[in-house]
Amino acid sequence: MLERKAKMWQKIAAAAVSFALLILIWQLAAMNPQFSQVMPGPFAVLQKFFVSFVEPIGKNVMLQHMLITLSRWAAGFIAATILGIALGLTMGWYRGFEAFMRPLFELVRPIPTLAWIPLVILWCGIGELAKYVLVFIGAFMSIVQNAYHGAKSVDRTIVNAARMLGCNDRQMFFTIVIPASVPAISAGLQIGVASAWSSVVAAELVRSSSGVGWIVVTGQQNNNMTQILVGILVIAVIGLLLALLIRRVEDVLCRWNKRGR
Amino acid sequence: MQMEQTRKIEKNIITLEHVDKEFEKVKEGGVFEVVKDLNIKVRENEFLVLFGPGQCGKTTILNMIAGFEEPTAGTIRMKGEKINGPDPSRGMVFQNLAIFPWLTVMGNVEYGLRMKGVDKKTRREKAQYYIDLVGLKGFENHYPIQISGGMKQRVGIARAYCNEPDVILMDEPFGALDAQTRYLMQDEIIRIWEAEKRTVIFVTNNIEEAVYVADRIIVIRNCPTNVKAEYEINLPRPRSYIDPDFLKLRREINNVVDHTL
Repeated sequence: MLERKAKMWQKIAAAAVSFALLILIWQLAAMNPQFSQVMPGPFAVLQKFFVSFVEPIGKNVMLQHMLITLSRWAAGFIAATILGIALGLTMGWYRGFEAFMRPLFELVRPIPTLAWIPLVILWCGIGELAKYVLVFIGAFMSIVQNAYHGAKSVDRTIVNAARMLGCNDRQMFFTIVIPASVPAISAGLQIGVASAWSSVVAAELVRSSSGVGWIVVTGQQNNNMTQILVGILVIAVIGLLLALLIRRVEDVLCRWNKRGR
Repeated sequence: MQMEQTRKIEKNIITLEHVDKEFEKVKEGGVFEVVKDLNIKVRENEFLVLFGPGQCGKTTILNMIAGFEEPTAGTIRMKGEKINGPDPSRGMVFQNLAIFPWLTVMGNVEYGLRMKGVDKKTRREKAQYYIDLVGLKGFENHYPIQISGGMKQRVGIARAYCNEPDVILMDEPFGALDAQTRYLMQDEIIRIWEAEKRTVIFVTNNIEEAVYVADRIIVIRNCPTNVKAEYEINLPRPRSYIDPDFLKLRREINNVVDHTL
């Protein structure tokens, strides 16, 4: 137990050192006047970050920008999760539906989210709906793909065991296929979270009047390097937190799959 | 004469008549004869052991009795009715466990009753009885990943019994256990069978195990499989591995069985 704790602290220390080194090198570089023209130092960025919670960038303060982007992300991601899992599991479990749906899905799947942007803007305008749709597309493909593989690879003897115990077709889907696919679904959600987050930022970069992507793109337009970096920092931190959140959800859903929990 | 006939029909719970099973050879084409003209009569409440060399089609025989696979020719009847797909009246304990990893010990054991729509209180009580019977008291809320191989196999046994089938099929249930656990489980399975008289068809490739547990041993010929010899084992229980009668029978059967590499 003590040893494990010591190992944990070693890991934290190692991570802290790498962060400290990055900041140190960045700061040393920024002290060169030529470099600081294009790249403000880390403390200037951090200061701007904290100030932006009180002083608005554009019409909103930072927290509002964050919440706006997060709500766009959530709307698209939740829709993608529900529909993606439903489609993936159905396609993976029912042969007939698979034969019907899979070729179409395989054709659409490799299209990068960015390639959808012009079409989505023409269809949905430049409002909120277009952003939801883009986030949806970003997350949907990997969620479907993983749920599909989950349902496809349910252990044959587990299925036989359930049939032998008297479960009918409907019970098979709900009490065997769904729980057996949870680890695969979680893997899909992990990927989906990240791609949904990139999609929402991409959508805001292209057309928006608020949100963290907008902070970055207006920073570019105003030649405000500090604002760009603040935007990128916020994108990184929220992306990381979302990934951690989904991992937490996975831990709860898959506790039967992890030794010692 | 008439009386005699009726009595005999009642005594045999399962009959296999001229059963053939062929598998298509996918690569080379043609068929692979696994079972050829197999005739077996299973008596009610007996502990029947199907004994034969590895890979000789024993599992295929069990899978056909369970209803997971259909014979290519011949018929398999249970209580006079042709077997048509898996049914809760025939339980199975699987070689590779096939217990549901996302359900606790309790969840696994009560699964069959839950599918039947038995109310929670009744099925919990019944499941608890079988959990106690197999010696898993105190582990009800453990997930399979948290318990040992021998305990997992006990879950499989309790799950099969809890569904109250007429016949329990056991497919080399102790094959993956270490030697000590295996001896222990052989005693356990006899104890459970004596407490809960049901017909057991037990497949093994271990000759001591066969003689130790069986009322009757059917020696299976190597592929294509059918009955090579049959032994009534009238040794009193509990049996001993070093009893002279035990060793005599063991030697006798050993001389009859096909040895394969």
